[in-house]
Amino acid sequence: MRWFDLLLWALAALGQQKLRTSLTTLGVLFGAFVLAASLSINEGVQETIQREASKGDASRKVTVYPSWRAKRGSNQDEVKVKGRMSPDRRERIRKALADGGGRGGAAERVDLTSDRLETLARLPHVRRLIPIVGGQVVATLGNRPEDASVSSGAGEDPEFRRQIVAGRAFEAEDERSVLLSEMFAYRIGLVDDADIAQVIGKPLRIELWSPEEGPSFEVSLAGRSRGGRGRDEWLALRQLAWQIPAMLDQFRLTGDERSILEKAIRRPSATPAPPSVADDYRVVGIFRALTHEEDKDAWSRFPAGTDLILPRQTAVDLFFRDPARRKEGLAHAVLLIDDMRNVKEVVDRVEALGLRSESIVRFVERERLTYLLIFGGMTCVAAVALLVSALGIANTMLMSVLQRRREIGIMKAVGAADWQLQALFLVEGGLIGLIGGASGLLLAWTISFPGDAWVRSMVRRDMQIDLSGSIFAFPTRIALIVLFFTIGVTVVAALYPARRASKVDPVTALRHD
Amino acid sequence: MAIRAVEVWKVYGAKDARVEALQGVSIEVEEGERVALLGKSGSGKSTLLNLLGGLDRPSSGGLRVGGHDLDRLSGREMARFRSTTVGIIFQSFNLIPSRSAVENVELPMIFAGRSPRDRRAAARRALEAVGLGARMDHRPDQLSGGESQRVAVARALANRPRVVLADEPTGNLDSQTARQVMSLILDHVHEHAATLVLVTHDEELAAACTERVIRLVDGRIAADTP
Repeated sequence: MRWFDLLLWALAALGQQKLRTSLTTLGVLFGAFVLAASLSINEGVQETIQREASKGDASRKVTVYPSWRAKRGSNQDEVKVKGRMSPDRRERIRKALADGGGRGGAAERVDLTSDRLETLARLPHVRRLIPIVGGQVVATLGNRPEDASVSSGAGEDPEFRRQIVAGRAFEAEDERSVLLSEMFAYRIGLVDDADIAQVIGKPLRIELWSPEEGPSFEVSLAGRSRGGRGRDEWLALRQLAWQIPAMLDQFRLTGDERSILEKAIRRPSATPAPPSVADDYRVVGIFRALTHEEDKDAWSRFPAGTDLILPRQTAVDLFFRDPARRKEGLAHAVLLIDDMRNVKEVVDRVEALGLRSESIVRFVERERLTYLLIFGGMTCVAAVALLVSALGIANTMLMSVLQRRREIGIMKAVGAADWQLQALFLVEGGLIGLIGGASGLLLAWTISFPGDAWVRSMVRRDMQIDLSGSIFAFPTRIALIVLFFTIGVTVVAALYPARRASKVDPVTALRHD
Repeated sequence: MAIRAVEVWKVYGAKDARVEALQGVSIEVEEGERVALLGKSGSGKSTLLNLLGGLDRPSSGGLRVGGHDLDRLSGREMARFRSTTVGIIFQSFNLIPSRSAVENVELPMIFAGRSPRDRRAAARRALEAVGLGARMDHRPDQLSGGESQRVAVARALANRPRVVLADEPTGNLDSQTARQVMSLILDHVHEHAATLVLVTHDEELAAACTERVIRLVDGRIAADTP
């Protein structure tokens, strides 16, 4: 018997029982629809997450921070744990002490020093290292000093250039220029538009105070808003901080408390130390804050509320001129990786250096895992639905075998072999799977258009985000999986009925009718 | 030798329900010989025909039909034997109701693996030979009893079998139609020098159409006369 004949014969047999075939196929269709929709949404959502995360450079960035690590060569056996305790607890504490834990144990701090920054810049796949400098400075325009926060940035990002409302962005990473925030300008009295225009090109003095040379105490006023702090107030509080050590006797402290503090504080100095570094920079532009919409997309922009922005290299040079900060290193740095797929490898290398890192790839991976679990569950439900429909198919085909006993007997009498009858029923099952699976796929694909439009409108309405691309994806792989699964399930469901058909005794089948 | 049966037994059931349908039947039929199996209902004649047609297997004994030792054939070989070596005609026609006349005639050729064009032409020729050239696309429920049996004859003879087994082929037909149908069968037998085994309880039909009569009584051969 030829395969073509098998196919025609099976199609004809299905055609004879139109209602039964339709109902059976409908069960497979719904199972295939849920399976296709689930796989398609899973694929589409994963792609959407990837796509949204890949907007700009965010997905290729790794932010590196200083961290603590166990001292090299520290031997756990040398760590002694005092007290009487269970062996398990002793082991846990000994291990924690050996690891350092940052609390007096055998741990060392791994800082982002200039040497380490060079090491990071040389790591494979790192296209660029962006040192991030940030901190508090005193900025003086003319004769008006003001407390200000400073960040570093070359302003090369086209998105950032849109924030420049007056003047220009930086042209080089090492130019001696500074950008002022619109709010900082307002705070220091540049209220009118004309004031803004006039400040461009003026020098701004930036003073950096070394924490090493500062007082032992930090004094601040509780509940003061940022806008209310002026340089005079800051200087007054600093004077107070300098004078506290000499006044320890005036406080109600026990002898022990006083002696602990006296041992801990730096030797009191009569006068506050001068700023460790000070330099002049030319104001080249004014930038505005991010709008609400821009803020939603901003994965790694400048910290909100930064008053001043210096070019990257200029900021690094300024901070590293202070010996204490040079030793301490930067608060963080950003590595720009050549490809998102290499981020994990770079993260592993960074952590092997003892540094801490953050990247949205991890966040994205967590998100993807969450959706993978959700849609994995949905796929299981779809698979169960298909398996249930398979039971229906097995039952229907078994009934069909019983009803067609005479026909099967005739076929055997005129020369049908057992395998041919088995193949006939298996092909019938496979055709139901193929037709049901293909229809389910088609239905899922058709529904994906209004479904996608609905989800987009919902996301736009609730989150004010315009998704690019569809949240449904139908790669060939999904079509093949769905068809393979539905045909597989229906063929397996037809196995027993097919076997029963091949075992029909022609003599009995023909005699009884 | 077209058919040789040696001590063939066919037993159904066991113990109290044991039925011995055939009890050591031995016959020999020459190539081209026309033999009638005569006997009452339950004498075992249809059982013997089913064994000769490969529809059933004997409980014991040897069977050789058309050059094939049936007890040595596998399931697949037996199916091939049924579609090519023998042609079986049943009393109740046994046509597939959902298929047209020409498709029913094609059936054994489909299982024998003949090409669609080849088998369709052969089926058309067979139907024209039995006078149903104008009824090829009719389904069995659109045909009379005589026409249905002629389709069954065409189907049995389409593959030009060496042995034709007819199980009361005229049992459901009027006498005129019965003569036409037997005439078709005999024409084929003469033309192709085929062997005919005709199961019937009609003495006249047996005498008119065959050259040898084997009488079966209770599963045994009671008489074997020319």
